[in-house]
Amino acid sequence: MKSVKSMLPLIAAMVVLLILFRLRAPNFLSPENLIDIAQQVSVNAILAFGMTLVIIIGGIDLSVGALLALVGTTTVFILTEQQSETQSFARLALAMTTGLGVAALFGAFHGVCAAKTKMPPFIITLATMEIARGAALRFNESRPITIPGSETAFLAMGNGWLFGVVPMPVLIMLILFALTAILLHRTRFGQHVYAMGGSREAARFTGIPLVRIEVLVYMICSVLTGIAGMIHTAQLYSAVPSSGVGFELNAIAAAVVGGTSFTGGRGTMLGTLIGAIIIGILDKGLNQAGVHFSFQHIIKGLVILMAVYFDVRRRK
Amino acid sequence: MGEVAQRDAPLLDVSGLTKRFAGVTALDGVAFELRRGEIHALLGENGAGKSTLIKVLGGIHLPDAGDIRIDGQPVAIRGVADADRCGIRIIHQELSLAPNLSVAENIFLGREPCRFGFLSRQAMFAAAEALIERLGLARISHHTKQTANRVPLLRGSSAGADSLARTACGQAVAHRSEQCGPGELRSVRAIVSELSVAHQQLVEIARALSTEARILVLDEPTSSLSEAETESLFVTLNQLRSQGVGIIYISHRLEEILRLADRITVLRDGRSVGTQETSRVNQRELVRWMVGREIVDYFHRPPHHPGEVAFEVSDLCNDRIDNASLQIRYGEVLGVAGLVGSGRSELARAIFGVDPIDHGDIRVDGRPVSIRSPRDALKAGIVLVPEDRKREGLVMLQSVAFNVAIPWVDDWIRWAMPNNRKRREIVCRAVHGFNVKLSDPEQSIDGLSGGNQQKVLVGRWMEHRPKVLILDEPTRGVDVGAREEMFAILSALVESGMAVLLISSDLSEVLNMSHRVAVYRDGRIVRTSPAAEITAEQIMEMLTGAKTDEVR
Repeated sequence: MKSVKSMLPLIAAMVVLLILFRLRAPNFLSPENLIDIAQQVSVNAILAFGMTLVIIIGGIDLSVGALLALVGTTTVFILTEQQSETQSFARLALAMTTGLGVAALFGAFHGVCAAKTKMPPFIITLATMEIARGAALRFNESRPITIPGSETAFLAMGNGWLFGVVPMPVLIMLILFALTAILLHRTRFGQHVYAMGGSREAARFTGIPLVRIEVLVYMICSVLTGIAGMIHTAQLYSAVPSSGVGFELNAIAAAVVGGTSFTGGRGTMLGTLIGAIIIGILDKGLNQAGVHFSFQHIIKGLVILMAVYFDVRRRK
Repeated sequence: MGEVAQRDAPLLDVSGLTKRFAGVTALDGVAFELRRGEIHALLGENGAGKSTLIKVLGGIHLPDAGDIRIDGQPVAIRGVADADRCGIRIIHQELSLAPNLSVAENIFLGREPCRFGFLSRQAMFAAAEALIERLGLARISHHTKQTANRVPLLRGSSAGADSLARTACGQAVAHRSEQCGPGELRSVRAIVSELSVAHQQLVEIARALSTEARILVLDEPTSSLSEAETESLFVTLNQLRSQGVGIIYISHRLEEILRLADRITVLRDGRSVGTQETSRVNQRELVRWMVGREIVDYFHRPPHHPGEVAFEVSDLCNDRIDNASLQIRYGEVLGVAGLVGSGRSELARAIFGVDPIDHGDIRVDGRPVSIRSPRDALKAGIVLVPEDRKREGLVMLQSVAFNVAIPWVDDWIRWAMPNNRKRREIVCRAVHGFNVKLSDPEQSIDGLSGGNQQKVLVGRWMEHRPKVLILDEPTRGVDVGAREEMFAILSALVESGMAVLLISSDLSEVLNMSHRVAVYRDGRIVRTSPAAEITAEQIMEMLTGAKTDEVR
């Protein structure tokens, strides 16, 4: 497989990092620790899947972090609106659909604006980032909303285990990975995404429905953000209106480290997954190795620079 | 100065100039001479080598062989800076001004006068005003006044432009524009994007002449000017001539050249055919000179067996097209002859649904079809091989196979089940059916030659046999061998009954490959006639602006 072969440098980098951290922290490769990393990677990976699609068509979505907070607060607000001791699945369904609906609405707006107006996606999503953040801060006087312990189904999204082995967030992330990978690599939608990212003009002259593709891509990114928002909220046991700051940048970093070309037209879901894992390992490893958090940032920045430098050079 | 010693030597003397691009010879031993105080017209069909010649002079291309002498001294032009040092100034067809900056800022772009390291705006404005005065460009302002209603860009929105200029440059402009009438090159502080195209052109000239210029090259300077604006430009050029500047003037408009130029050099197929005093030639001779190539027999005109009317366009209008009507039968090639910039490609874009149509009817097989996007056009059986292969035709990042298979994704992917065997078959049919030379269908399309890329583009559309094939400049940037192959492919398709619309700026191509020819000028079809009943000379005269009654 050509695509897997091109992943080898990334996989090698991942292995090198694992070994390095194993030297500093002996229990780094223990199953518990690895599962812990996987759990922490999940939210960022889900965001990065959507971001990958957006970047491949030559766009960008900065609203991700703020939208994640807005979906979390909206969902939990509906969930906790009526005080009750028991959980109602009808209410849970309503809360989740509303949350995802809000996300889809934002995504559709991004897509339509990007396709139909000349506004650059960077600015469109910079604006909606502010709007989403503001909307999230409207809830509960900007204070966190605690999720009552009785909402076991919702909380399970962030803290449950499948057969006591696979954490729920990891499971959801893997399912979404499979879905988005199939979407990008095996459907005509995916072909159109690549064509459009490679050359919008050529795609237009080939009869590809540019508006539809662009709207769908931004909607998928936002809905994935919504799902990540619910997981994140459940993990925190409360919806925090000010959460998710900078998440969009982490998602971009994962996509780019994974080989997604910032000028569009190139990128794979597998690459993005590995990119997210590398960033996760880095975060966790530096922490466990006792590196001061100031240096953690510096090292992370250098790793991103290096990864992209080698990727660009390899392509030349 | 050496100038006195070399009084007899021509200002610019080019000999044996040769330039090849990947197998295509663009210039083949060109000789050319320019005297001081002369306007020398350079004439030739599209692709004759005019722009390559001026790009060599401007230091954009390096010549493979040949000699360039200025004042009899050999010079090496290895870059734009060298050309600059030799006093060569080129004004390209597309203006290269920074639209967001003022007239003065544009004139001194890159050489801004500074005082103590800080930009000195006052000095710059003063210098720009002095320059415009010295060149006599200020007088142009009065000239263009009478054309006030012809250039709405500047005049119509005068009030709005004023307020914009005010915010951009502060009070000074406000005060200035009160002084000047609305039709003038009102101030060196005016923002360039608010000027008419004619005035922008003057700014280009002013910039070119702001440092000592000896040779001024103008490439199609009048293509976007009104008649009155053209007149003003001529006044300026004549004045520069009397100041001793050597001017190379490139234009398709023969009338203009006959009026303006002292001498004319004709280029054809990268060779200089000859130089003549303007007083000794007339329009007819020039046209014959330009197109008079031997007809190479790589054209295979398909036999004409017209079937039913396949495709019909009536009264098509949009902002670039003025009531175009045409009709093509099955098994027929309709050639569209037009100069670069005449709106030929816009016609193709409108028919294919890329550009919106204001009104007009498109019929396929006699049934009206509504085309609002390329998708609609494809459904109606119309395909287009666009002019700009690399930008509009192909996804250059991707493989050959990707580019062939992308329009037919529906055929080889059902839901999430790509059928790779089917994809391979589609790719195979296009690649082998059209004899594309490649090592592996999965190789990047970037590595293919222009001819092979073009074959990929034609080949992929044949997967679902279209009714109407539109080819826009199918042989641009393609070498002779591939050209021949392209024509053979075209012939075979037409013989099998396809209707073809062939758009080309190469007259011999249009005349030899089409059954009927539509002459296209300024968004309008001037005349349609059987190819056998019209000559290259007649078409050229219609395209270059001779009156139609002269044709017969």
